[in-house]
Amino acid sequence: MPLHRRSLLAGALTLGAAQAFPGLSRAQARKLVFATFTGSWEEAHRAVLVPAFRKNSGGDVILDPMLSVDQIAKVQAARANPPIDVMLHDPGPALTAIAQDLVEPYPVAQSAHYGDLIADAQEPMGPAPFFQIVGLTYNPEKVKTPPTSWADLWKPEYRGRVGITNLNSTLGTGFLVEIARMHGGSETDVEPGFKALEALKPNLAAVAANPGALAALYQQEQVDIGPGNFNAIQILKARGVPVEFAAPKEGIIAFKTTIHIVKNTPSKELAFRLIEAALSPEVQAKLMQSPYLIVPTNRKVAMEGEVAKVLARDADELKRKSVFQDWAAINRGRPAWIERFNREIRV
Amino acid sequence: MSAGPATAAGPVAAPLRPGRTWTAAYDIRLALPLGAFFLVFFLAPLALLVLVSFYADPAMTRFGLDQYARFLLDPFSLRVLGATLWLGVEVTALTLLLGLPLALLLTWAPGRLRGLLTLIVLLPLLTSVVVRTFAWIVILGRQGIVNAALLGLGLTDAPLKLLYTEGGLVLALAQVQLPLMVLPLVTALSRIDPNLADASAALGAGAWRTFLRVTLPLCLPGIVAGCLLTFAAAITAFITQSLIGGGQMLFMPMYLYQQASSLNNWPFAAAIAIVFLVAVLACVALLNLAGRLSGGRARA
Repeated sequence: MPLHRRSLLAGALTLGAAQAFPGLSRAQARKLVFATFTGSWEEAHRAVLVPAFRKNSGGDVILDPMLSVDQIAKVQAARANPPIDVMLHDPGPALTAIAQDLVEPYPVAQSAHYGDLIADAQEPMGPAPFFQIVGLTYNPEKVKTPPTSWADLWKPEYRGRVGITNLNSTLGTGFLVEIARMHGGSETDVEPGFKALEALKPNLAAVAANPGALAALYQQEQVDIGPGNFNAIQILKARGVPVEFAAPKEGIIAFKTTIHIVKNTPSKELAFRLIEAALSPEVQAKLMQSPYLIVPTNRKVAMEGEVAKVLARDADELKRKSVFQDWAAINRGRPAWIERFNREIRV
Repeated sequence: MSAGPATAAGPVAAPLRPGRTWTAAYDIRLALPLGAFFLVFFLAPLALLVLVSFYADPAMTRFGLDQYARFLLDPFSLRVLGATLWLGVEVTALTLLLGLPLALLLTWAPGRLRGLLTLIVLLPLLTSVVVRTFAWIVILGRQGIVNAALLGLGLTDAPLKLLYTEGGLVLALAQVQLPLMVLPLVTALSRIDPNLADASAALGAGAWRTFLRVTLPLCLPGIVAGCLLTFAAAITAFITQSLIGGGQMLFMPMYLYQQASSLNNWPFAAAIAIVFLVAVLACVALLNLAGRLSGGRARA
């Protein structure tokens, strides 16, 4: 049979397409996709969690770091064939993901570590492999006396020195609820919080678009004090930026960060293995070390180092010192708060 | 948004010679792959966006014009739209002011220097917008180069607030978008016959008069194209707007993102996108028209 140019071309194109889209021929062999958070979380997970997962499953994983809300948007857009297998969520988005039926219940009965988690971390729709802690962050070269209360942010000496984020982030929303509470409000009544923000305006140097941008402002000395995530500043500290964390006496804000198997994932078993690795005492103990300092949730991990020094010596003390906010109530009010923040907080 | 700048090339392109039809000059079927690409990856998603914007509630259960009413009857939303378009105007004006002398210099420069200048103009395009924007954070910050210089010269006692201000944002955007202005200008300027300037001088016109009456009108298509590109890029520059403008300066891209991602209100986000699209197309059409009208007068 003589070879025609056209049939040759068609053959070449088919081969080329198979090369360009290997997924066509082996859809089942795709790597597990874990949407972690950007910044220090990604670094920590790449260095500690990924190797542990490879060892316990023999599988491979791709880290695709993005914000919780973006994870939800992506999975929502392709429910039947989700581009992500394992999601990581702050408490607000976690409730949204569960309400929208985007996640599988965690196979608790098969889990070796679920029962070892402290009670607050045991969530049947997706357990918490770590806590995030929000308190006060400050530049020790500019703020000589370490702050002790949220109220310190309103001191006249910090005029034009305070940095916050808007309510798009868990950090910004949690902070608003906390200052509302300080003035007699709650998750369902943030009116006092908005009044307090209004009074904070002369001190505000920046309202950052997200916590990552806020942390970078310490490096530029654009801001010297403000609410901040304990973990977000560790990466800066490790690089020599003068920034410290202080626990306000009203209590540190603790967020459960939960990890979920995405509904309709083709790699359910591997997703389970990754989460098991994240819950295991070995991984959590390593993640607690410097420079990651991620707060563990497995009771078998004894708190050590900076985490023990700055936050709490054990799970009980952490629970005593922390405020866990009611995110179901916050989620209900949040759209209106974001709207109001847009309109009222102009610096 | 990509449709806007593409139409800008219209007035620049040479008109077809009369008597020759499109199909004779170019086989229209050559455009089929691009047409199919556009249909699948641009028109279909756009149609979906329009459809979503007509849902009345965030859960997308019934249709209605609620989202458009919510946007168009709300002074706050209209202010955000106005501020975004105004930002585009400011950035475009500043970019034109900075870009025109640069483009003239580039056109007049001798061979080797011209290559070097072109490289300098193109260089920013080869770096990521994120990197360029972070550089501006370093420049505009309290400990940044500008403030350090001002303090060092004794021009100010305390560092000025430059970051997270509209002025800082306009400046950063103008630098980031400068190549988009300079390149069309250079193309238009280099196409002007140098004899025309000589003729103008021979007829007694000074340098300024020649520039205003000959060079400027002739490079108008380049100015219009550059302005369209800069305007479209400046108002949609999500990264630069949020990093230099901060979280309290709300422009349309951030407003849209907030509704879609943080609030999961897809219909309202879609309506914002459509309103924004229509407003931008209107601005582009207006600019195009202005360019054509003044171009006509210059020729007359």
